Amino acid sequence: MTFTEYTWLIPLIPIIGLLLAAAFGKKTPEGGGYFVVGAVAVACFVSLMVAYEFFTGDGSPVYDTTIWIDLGTINGTQYQFEMGYYVDYLTALLLIVVSILCTLIVIYSLGYMHEEGERKRRYYVEIALFITGMLGMVVASNYLTAFVFWEIMGLCSYLLIGFWYYKPSAAKAAKKAFLTTRIGDISFMLGIIALFGAFGTLNYHELFNPEFIESFEVNYGLLLFAMLCFFGAAVGKSAQFPLHDWLPDAMEGPTTVSALIHAATMVKAGVYLVARSFPLMVDTPEVMIVIAVVGGFTAFFAATQALNNFNIKRVLAYSTISQLGFMFLALGCGGYIIATAGTDEHLLEVGNAGYMAGVFHLMNHAFFKALLFLSAGAVIHAVHTEDMRKMGGLSKKLKITSLVMLIGALAIAGIPPFSGFWSKDLILESTIAAAEVNSWFWILYIAATVTAFMTAFYMFRLWFMTFKGEESEAAHHAHEAPAVMWAPLVVLAIAACITGLFLLGPDGGLPAVIYTVSPEGNAIPGETLGLGWIEKLFTAWPTYVSLAMATFGIGIAYLAYYKKTLSLDFFAKGSNRKVYDVLQRRYYFPEFYDFVGEKGMYGLARLVDFIDRKVVDGVVNAIANVAVGTSGRFRKAQTGFTQTYAAVIVAAVSVILVLLYLFAEVR
Amino acid sequence: MIPQEYFLALGAILFAIGAFGALTRKNAIVVLMCIEIMLNAANINFVTFAVFSGGAAGQVFALFSIAIAAAEVAIGLAILLNLQKLQDTIELQDLNLLRW
Repeated sequence: MTFTEYTWLIPLIPIIGLLLAAAFGKKTPEGGGYFVVGAVAVACFVSLMVAYEFFTGDGSPVYDTTIWIDLGTINGTQYQFEMGYYVDYLTALLLIVVSILCTLIVIYSLGYMHEEGERKRRYYVEIALFITGMLGMVVASNYLTAFVFWEIMGLCSYLLIGFWYYKPSAAKAAKKAFLTTRIGDISFMLGIIALFGAFGTLNYHELFNPEFIESFEVNYGLLLFAMLCFFGAAVGKSAQFPLHDWLPDAMEGPTTVSALIHAATMVKAGVYLVARSFPLMVDTPEVMIVIAVVGGFTAFFAATQALNNFNIKRVLAYSTISQLGFMFLALGCGGYIIATAGTDEHLLEVGNAGYMAGVFHLMNHAFFKALLFLSAGAVIHAVHTEDMRKMGGLSKKLKITSLVMLIGALAIAGIPPFSGFWSKDLILESTIAAAEVNSWFWILYIAATVTAFMTAFYMFRLWFMTFKGEESEAAHHAHEAPAVMWAPLVVLAIAACITGLFLLGPDGGLPAVIYTVSPEGNAIPGETLGLGWIEKLFTAWPTYVSLAMATFGIGIAYLAYYKKTLSLDFFAKGSNRKVYDVLQRRYYFPEFYDFVGEKGMYGLARLVDFIDRKVVDGVVNAIANVAVGTSGRFRKAQTGFTQTYAAVIVAAVSVILVLLYLFAEVR
Repeated sequence: MIPQEYFLALGAILFAIGAFGALTRKNAIVVLMCIEIMLNAANINFVTFAVFSGGAAGQVFALFSIAIAAAEVAIGLAILLNLQKLQDTIELQDLNLLRW
C-alpha cells in the first residue's frame, strides 16, 4: 500500500504544474504547457499505481481522513468536517479513466493550441486547475470536499468555455454554462445540508457502512430530499433535461476543452456523484424512478436534436447528452430493481448489473467520446471550420483521423466488438429487467432502442459528411495533424476497441471492478460475468434488436450521405419542415431560457427592486417624513422671544409645584 | 420678634414682582433689574431660614448669591451693550434671531 497512502497527492500534483506554468509560462515554450503535461503525467502514474494496488488488494475501501473544520458540539450534534481520500472500486476505475484521458488531452493540446500565442499560458493554467478539480472530486473522502472540487470544476468550465472571451458568443456560452450548472450546485449544497441533518456526518466510509446507517433512526423524508438534491446536482453538471442547454453552447471553447468537459471530467462528475451515492440512493425507489425517467428521456430528446445539426462539435455535444442519459437510465433502472428487490438474490444481481452497466458505459463513453472530440478537433484544425457542409472528402487528406474517427463512430453506434456495444447492451438489458418489475419501464426501453438507432444514424451522417463525398474547397488545403495530436488519437482508438473487452477478463474482469450491494446492504465485489455472459448475450433477442437498430441507422446514413440514393429532403420541405425547424432551434429551449430569464427572473428582479425601493425604502422614508412634518409644525413654538421661554419655564415650574403639592408628600 | 412668615411673605411678594416684571417688561435693562429683584427675594429666604434655624450656612449662601448676582449683571450689561451696538435696540420684542 505504498502508493495508496499518497492518494491525497493526486489532485495536488497538477497544482504544481499550474504554479510552474503560471510562473515560467512566459519564458518557456508552449506557454508552460510542458510543465502541465509533466505534472498530469505524474498524477496519472500515481493514479494508476493506486488503482493497481487497490485491484490487487482485498477489495475493501481504503480511506484516511484528517479533521479539517471543527466547530465543536452544538445542540448535541458534532459539527466536524474532515478531508482525506477514499478509494474503492468506483474511485479506482474513475482514477484510471480520468487520469489517462487528461494526460492524452493535455498532450494533444500541445499541438492543437500551438498557434494560440500568448494566451497559451492561461489555457494551461486553467486546464491544470480543471484536472485538479476532477481528480480531487474522485478521491475525496466526503461530500463536502467533493463539493469544493465540484465548484472548482464549475469555475474552470466557465473560464475555459469563455477562453476566447472576445467572441461574444463564447462569453455568452460561458455565462450560460456557469449559471445553469449553478442551479445544480445549489441543489448539491442543499443535499449536503439535508444529509448532514439526517446522519450528522458526510464521510463516505461512515455513510456507506450499513451498520452505521442502521444505528440511525433515518428520517426517510430528509433522505429522499437529500438524494433528490444530489440527482438535481447531477442534472446540472451532466446536462440532463431540463438543464441540458448549456452543453451544446459550451462548444464555443477550444475543442480540447470540449473533449475534457465531455469525456473525462465535468459531465462525468454528475454521473460519478450518482454512482457514488448509490448505496444511499437504493433506499429511495422514488429517486431511482426519477433518475431512470430523466435519463431515458434525455437520451431520446438530445439524440433527436443531433439528427439535423450541421456543426460537427454540436452533433457530438448532443450525443454526449444522449449518452449521459443512457448512463443515468442504467443507474436508475438498476437502482430501482435493487430498491424493490428486498432479499431476492436474483433481482439484486440483476440490479447490480444495471449499476455496472452505467459505470461501464461511463468508462467506455469517456474513451470513445474523447476520441471523437479530439478527431473532430483534428478536422477543425485542418479545415478551420466547424460546419460539416463545408467539409467532405477529407478521408484522403486525413487518413489517420478518418480511420480513428470511424472506430469512435462504430463504438458509439454499438457495433461489436467495439466498447460501446457491450455497455449499451448491458444498459438495455437492465432496462428490460426493470420493465419486468414495473411494466412502465418498457417505455424507457423503447425510447432507448430508438435512441440507439438515432445515435448510429447521426454519427455516420457526421462521418460521411466530413470524410466522404466530393472533395470540398476546404479539403484542398487540409493536411494531417502533427504527431503530438494523432498519437493520442491512436491510443484512444485502441482503448475504444478494447475497453469493452474488460467485461471478459479471465478472473475478475470488469464486474469485479464494480462493487455490488449484498442483501444486507454491504458493498462487496461483484461476481465476474465471464464468458458465459457472452453466450447469454448472443442468444437473447434484445441484443439483435439493438444491433438491427444500429445497422439500420448506419445504413440510412450510408444511403443518404454517401451513395446519395436516398433523399432526406422530404423532412426539410414544406409543412414537414416544422419538425425540422423545431430540432434546428433546439426545441426552442434557448428561447425558453431567455423567456424564463426575461419574464421570470427579470420580473422577479423587478419585483424585488420594487419591494426594495418602494416598500423597504418607503417605510424608512415615511418615518422620516412624519418626523419632518411634525417637527415642521412644532418648530413654530420656537419664537425666539426670550420672554416666551421664560414664561413657559415659569408656567411649567408652577404646574410641577402645584402637582407636587397636591400629590407628593412634600408638605 | 417678627414672625418668620412675614419674612417669607416679603420674599414671595418680591419674587412675584420680579417674575412678573421679567416676563412683561420690554426693556432688557428693566428685565435685568427684575431678575435682580428675584435674586434678592431668594436671598431674603436664605437669611430668614438661617436666622430662624440658627445656622450660619444660609447667611454665607446669601453672600455667595450676592457676589454671583454682581457677576451676572456685569455679563448681562455687557451683552446688552453689544446688542445696542449691533442691533441698535435693546427692546426684547425686536430680538428674535434665535427662532425657527
